[in-house]
Amino acid sequence: MVNEMVAKLTSSCWDKCITGTPGSKFINSEQTCLSNCAQRYLDMSMLIMKQFQSML
Amino acid sequence: MNGYGSSSSSSSGSSSSQPNPEVLMDQLKNQLAQAYAEEFLETVRGKCFEKCISKPGSSLSGSESSCVSRCVERYIEATGIISKALFSQQR
Repeated sequence: MVNEMVAKLTSSCWDKCITGTPGSKFINSEQTCLSNCAQRYLDMSMLIMKQFQSML
Repeated sequence: MNGYGSSSSSSSGSSSSQPNPEVLMDQLKNQLAQAYAEEFLETVRGKCFEKCISKPGSSLSGSESSCVSRCVERYIEATGIISKALFSQQR
């Protein structure tokens, strides 16, 4: 379900974007990275769907 | 049949032998919420252990403790950022 997707994505994006020790707030680049991460995941998802569909 | 005049629909809670679907649904939702909470906790534990406890000593240092505390806050914040990014997709 939706919750599960958020959980998995947060886990992956955390690993990709938060490279140092957690601070008392996110620096801009970390915030941007997290937001981009989710959106790029959706882009990727669409690409994969299209590719599968073109195989049928 | 009796003189009450109410439309006869099977009222909830009237029979103890039939499981009430509403009650079941609530129980299911509770269990699901609990499962998610536990999984979330486990994830946070893993991430923050990775980030904050790099050289385990004989006790948790002050800096390790504060790191963990910040880590939990940041991870929750990250969850919010991801949620927002996923659900405010304007294409």
